[in-house]
Amino acid sequence: MKNLRQKLKSLPFMLMACIVLTSCNDLLEENDGQLATGDLDFTQTDDMILPLVGAYAVTYSRGWEDPLLVGVRGDDVNAGGLGDQPLFAETDLFNYDNGFWMFNQVWVNFYGDILDINNARETIEQYKEFATGDDVALGDQYIAETKVLSGFQHLQMSKLWGDIFIITSTNVEQELDNGVFTKEEVMLYISNLMDEAIPFLPDARPNERTDLAGGVTKYTALAIKAMANLELENYQLVADATGEIINSNKFMLYPDFYELFKKPGQLSNENLFELQFSDFNSDSGPVSNHLYAPFGPSSWDPLVETASGGWGFYEPSLKFIKFMIDRGEQTRLVTSVNFTPRGIEEIMEDPGYTTLPNYISNVTLDGDVFNNYPRAMFGSGKHYLPSNQLTTGRNDYGSGKNFIVIRYAEILLMYAEALTRGASGNGISADQAVNMVRSRVGMPSLSGVTAQDVMDEKYAELAMEWGIRYFDMIRLNEFSELSYEGRTFTEDDEFLPYPQEQLDLLPLE
Amino acid sequence: MKAKLSILLLCFTLVSWSQQKKISGLVTSANDGMPLLGVSVIVDGTSRGTSTDLDGKYSITLQSGAQVSFSYLGYKSQTIKVIDQTIINIALEEDANSLEEVIVVGYGSQKKIDLTGAISTVKAEDIEKTPNSNIVQSLQGKVAGLQITSNGSPGAGPTVRIRGVNSFSAGGGPLYVVDGVFYDDIDFLDNSQIESISVLKDASSIAIFGQKGTNGVIVIETKGGKLNSKPTFTYSGYTGYQRAQNVVKMANAEQFVTMALESGSQADIEFVANAIQRYGRSRINPNLPNVNTDWYREILRVAPISSHSLGVTGGTESATYGVNASYFSQEGILDMENEYERFNVQSNIEVKLSERFRVGANALFSNSTRLNPENGAWFQAYFAVPILPVFDTQNENATPTAFSDATLLGYRGAQNPFPVMTFNNNRVKQRRVLTSAFIEYSLIPKKLKFKTFYSHDYNTTSERNVRLPYFISENSQRAVSSIRRAEFNSSNQYWDNILTYTDTFGDHNLTAIAGASYRDQQFETLQVTGDDITGIDLESSWFLDFADPGSFANQVIGNGDRLYSIAYLSRVEYNYKNKYLFNATYRYEGDGRFPKEIWLGTGSIGAGWVISEESFMQDNGVINFLKLRGSWGQLPNGALTGSAGTRTVSTLTTAINDLLTNGIISTNNFTDLEREILEETNVGISAKLFDNRLSLEVDYFTRDTKRLVIPVIQPIAGNTVLQNAGEMRNTGFEIAAGWSQRLNKDWSFSVNGNIGTLKNKMTKINNNLGYLDTGSAEFRQRSILGEPVEAFFGLEVEGVYQNDTQVANDPIAVDNNLEPGDFIYKDQNNDGIIDDQDRVVIGSYLPEFTYGGNLQVSYKNFDFSLAIAGQTGNEILNRKRGEVIFTNDTNIDADFATNRWHGEGTTNSYPSSAGRRKAWNQRLSTFFIEDGSFFRIQNVQLAYTIPLKKLGENMPEFKLTFTAERPLTIFKYNGFSPEVANGVDRQTYPIPAIYTFGVNIKL
Repeated sequence: MKNLRQKLKSLPFMLMACIVLTSCNDLLEENDGQLATGDLDFTQTDDMILPLVGAYAVTYSRGWEDPLLVGVRGDDVNAGGLGDQPLFAETDLFNYDNGFWMFNQVWVNFYGDILDINNARETIEQYKEFATGDDVALGDQYIAETKVLSGFQHLQMSKLWGDIFIITSTNVEQELDNGVFTKEEVMLYISNLMDEAIPFLPDARPNERTDLAGGVTKYTALAIKAMANLELENYQLVADATGEIINSNKFMLYPDFYELFKKPGQLSNENLFELQFSDFNSDSGPVSNHLYAPFGPSSWDPLVETASGGWGFYEPSLKFIKFMIDRGEQTRLVTSVNFTPRGIEEIMEDPGYTTLPNYISNVTLDGDVFNNYPRAMFGSGKHYLPSNQLTTGRNDYGSGKNFIVIRYAEILLMYAEALTRGASGNGISADQAVNMVRSRVGMPSLSGVTAQDVMDEKYAELAMEWGIRYFDMIRLNEFSELSYEGRTFTEDDEFLPYPQEQLDLLPLE
Repeated sequence: MKAKLSILLLCFTLVSWSQQKKISGLVTSANDGMPLLGVSVIVDGTSRGTSTDLDGKYSITLQSGAQVSFSYLGYKSQTIKVIDQTIINIALEEDANSLEEVIVVGYGSQKKIDLTGAISTVKAEDIEKTPNSNIVQSLQGKVAGLQITSNGSPGAGPTVRIRGVNSFSAGGGPLYVVDGVFYDDIDFLDNSQIESISVLKDASSIAIFGQKGTNGVIVIETKGGKLNSKPTFTYSGYTGYQRAQNVVKMANAEQFVTMALESGSQADIEFVANAIQRYGRSRINPNLPNVNTDWYREILRVAPISSHSLGVTGGTESATYGVNASYFSQEGILDMENEYERFNVQSNIEVKLSERFRVGANALFSNSTRLNPENGAWFQAYFAVPILPVFDTQNENATPTAFSDATLLGYRGAQNPFPVMTFNNNRVKQRRVLTSAFIEYSLIPKKLKFKTFYSHDYNTTSERNVRLPYFISENSQRAVSSIRRAEFNSSNQYWDNILTYTDTFGDHNLTAIAGASYRDQQFETLQVTGDDITGIDLESSWFLDFADPGSFANQVIGNGDRLYSIAYLSRVEYNYKNKYLFNATYRYEGDGRFPKEIWLGTGSIGAGWVISEESFMQDNGVINFLKLRGSWGQLPNGALTGSAGTRTVSTLTTAINDLLTNGIISTNNFTDLEREILEETNVGISAKLFDNRLSLEVDYFTRDTKRLVIPVIQPIAGNTVLQNAGEMRNTGFEIAAGWSQRLNKDWSFSVNGNIGTLKNKMTKINNNLGYLDTGSAEFRQRSILGEPVEAFFGLEVEGVYQNDTQVANDPIAVDNNLEPGDFIYKDQNNDGIIDDQDRVVIGSYLPEFTYGGNLQVSYKNFDFSLAIAGQTGNEILNRKRGEVIFTNDTNIDADFATNRWHGEGTTNSYPSSAGRRKAWNQRLSTFFIEDGSFFRIQNVQLAYTIPLKKLGENMPEFKLTFTAERPLTIFKYNGFSPEVANGVDRQTYPIPAIYTFGVNIKL
């Protein structure tokens, strides 16, 4: 009996414990440190630009291997980096190993971005539902911009692999069930996607945009449409799209070809699309940089002594250099190529080139001295930023430099090519287009340009840029051009094999 | 017996006034005549008491006519009435069934005899022998089925696996329960604070702990006072040094240059020429540069270690107390600012307010500072070429120190590890307060009690990473200094309310507990990096206030999370005549991180049969104790990344027109997990034979992880999402045996040994591939049905092409432009092509056998002990050798340089120097997979107790020890140490041998 009384005495205490415990059950529903997409306040239309900036951020933040793999197979450039990344060198020789990590990395880099861009588009659509007035049109513009970014990435993917998946939403599983589309279908899709986007995009040069300077505009979309149709050899549509850009009279070639690829050329009137980077002109704090080191020399004496070199992974070819010397191209050669003493000797080994023009030097126009290094004989000048243009305290190779993707010179030459291949122009002539490009670099005017003239001009003007040369050559079946310096190119070599990891994961053959 | 004693204790009236007298004597074990240390000798009915010393001796003052009782754990107590004796020698009989021995299990304790699961205990003496900051290290080789992988870095804990790997998820370590409080780590505990350690291995033993205990539970009791004991002061300390052992031998300049010349790489030949030009020719061999750097020798050092602890414990008739302070310091063997220092103060008190009321509190403050090593230095030292000196006086542009730089010779990387070791400083300060308090009240005396127990673990960690500016070359420099400060604070609270009911009905004994446990775990972090520090040369300026304020943008991270969980738990233990045992556990636990299934209930059952209690087993003369036991249980695993359960948003920035611009990115890959459930069946035998001299524990277990969480690669973009899509099984045998015997008055010895086997295999993989890839593409680890988890997956080397004819006759060799000196791979699918389809499982990082043993010999005042440990059946991926796939203009280990193929018949297992650089030979193959077996002398200790007691009773106990920790390890692997937790050896902090001299004083 006494026991029972004792028990009852402590009952309130125990009851209290139970109550405290049960009231905590609600806490089980909380999740600190996590923001669900559904918890965003979509009525804050001002925030609608945030997912768009996110889409640009993922597009800009390219892996270092992306531009290398896209470009390396052309006859304008060799792998370099000898003794390192042998499978990259093998790729340059058209021997593909589908287990090579770089193939898969580039694959997931582009597709990862495409998914992120689709996510951004869907988030913008949710903001747009609550938008009113002008903001509705702004929402449409942002959505159109994501389509241009996605189109650009699909374009790169299909150029590399040919038949690829088209991913238009975040419902990946369903889209994978559709299987891969042929390269033709992909290019058609891109062309149509640009047509969809164009009506909503700003009628402006990217550098004229005030809301998002350097962002894509109607003309970027037209350029991508032209590129897709160039792949399709649908030259009339190429001429129409590029003609529309030219006739807008908004674009002009940047007068100094060399500086175009340096800091002064950033967001110039020539650029239709560029990946933006910056060290914010401060010696400390955040940076948003591309890793240019693969393009840099592994030994140099920069004017600014502290400037870092690079890995020597991207070496302009002897074929290209000799082609340029033969043409008497000074400006474009010294802009495109950084020479080392060993490289210069190597050119002179050829009996046809025992005396070289005096502008060929291992000292750049800005006074940086390229030394011998075993990895490569030449450096890529268009990816080189003179050490005296670096922000003080920022010594990474090319720190803060933008990466140009599409520029007006390419538009002019695509236009000229289309015309020389039978398309009818609606503005200037092919001669005019080519000569605009030539006159900037001090080359004499041509008249009656042929398709071959245009291809040569593209080679000289666009070398080392985004594999333009390589993809031109495979489009035109000019396999003999690609069979240079000991290589043999056959039709089977056009596309990269699907990465082994993707073969394992996807309905691919 | 116990009950009777305590009743006596209360009967003050029994004390009769009579003459004071002093008695003394010796307490021995009746079984072997060995003196017993620490037997409590208490005058009944008083608070006076003492305990026996090392020699089993005691003395005590009492009234004649009083009763004095002698009690000792595991022995039958005796009470003697003192009339006119002055010397009372007692031989205590061992309690055959060790009925009194109690093991702390979850939320209570159990008599050892009643256990039906797999629990191993380790004595405090064995722990104190190991000079280490982390107690767990001392368990290596001591418990069957417990795999400890040491870590040589000061202050870093080892990797602990109990019964193998059961989950892919992080947080694979066991749960530590220290005096009833749950911890994920016990970095704050000093070896000297430990009273006992129990390792709970099977699901039924662990079930009551719920989801935190999935990877095993290590229950630790710290030292406290005993009731009615006088204050005991203890000092223990040691000092010594650590030395790297089994240092990997790298190619010297001659071997390296030979390799370079044979490589056929013009570039590498030029680098050697550059080195000769820069540093001159060797006078011994003019083809070599005058440099021969042994990089490991340069970066290693002999480092001191020391520990001191001082404590007092004791008790009155109603209260016990303990206070302990300890200091530990250890430098690292990496020659940079690399050390660990810890100061702990602990106190506990427990008061019996009345027969029904008990309260207690425990507080520990731990303050530690760690200067972390630059582990990259190990990696760099491996690859740095021997033809590069540490310093290069010709490098005039270098500032502040003229370190050499391999890029000046043409190499891709700077290679020299000294710049990072010199110009980086990584400090971690941890301050931790751990408190707990309880109130226990008996609602029905001796039968029903209620205990409420609260604990709080408050931990702040401040990290400071300083990056000093330097310039060695364009490719090895830091123009702008920076400081990263990171503050982490966590607050873990538990509140347990437990009812315990104990009763006996005739031959039926019952204990039941029920209760609730509430957990609130908060974590917050703030991390800021600032650049361009004014006054960076002075440590007093290493604060963010001195950084360029403009540099903070985008370098600030602030985050946190909070975890609540509530569990209702219960356990029933029943036995009939201490012969038939039964127990069951159920726990129902809610955890907010799993929105898909917040509440989950799991349970266990166990049964045992003490055969030796049966009449037919009585007095058989051989078997003193025999128990068959079996158990089954489930454990939820909550050591998973919390599920989002929905799409989430994160922020990011990019440059738009040279302005840092914010954006957001959302993901449609989100996790929505349920907890993994581990199901285990354990059967075992516990036995004692031959007068309790031989003890034996045998266990067999099968554990299945159901709803195993695996990373499922999402198609297209390569990102992975965790899903409950697999199952895994671990099975094993564990045997532990020991023999102890006293031979005569002077000599005694004991031998213990244990073996654990482990077999792991994947039993279900439900993703789109049917297998699971981890590791990188170059170093693939694949989990395949029926094979061990994360097995190494690659090609099988059959030999090396020896001559041109052999190459010409093999179409595979012709197709791949191979040469003599290249590997011959096995064409597993016989399709005439060597490709990824020919890859097979070529090894597992999980050992098949782990074993340990211990020999202890005592002669008079000398004690000698020797412990061994080892493992076999595991493989290590020598990732350092494999790294050639990324950069091949580096050094290589001497074993490779010596054994390389360099002409017909030289070897059939190593490639040539030229071959080493070919992609063909760089693919993951059996060449890179090495045997990880090792045998080690874990600990050797010689102790001598100075017989000061002979000089007088008040003299302290004084013991000297000489210890060699891990003095010898035997293994074949080409690396510093075969102890590589995940089997991939890229950079491992070497595990040093430690030699110490120690002193223990007890007063």
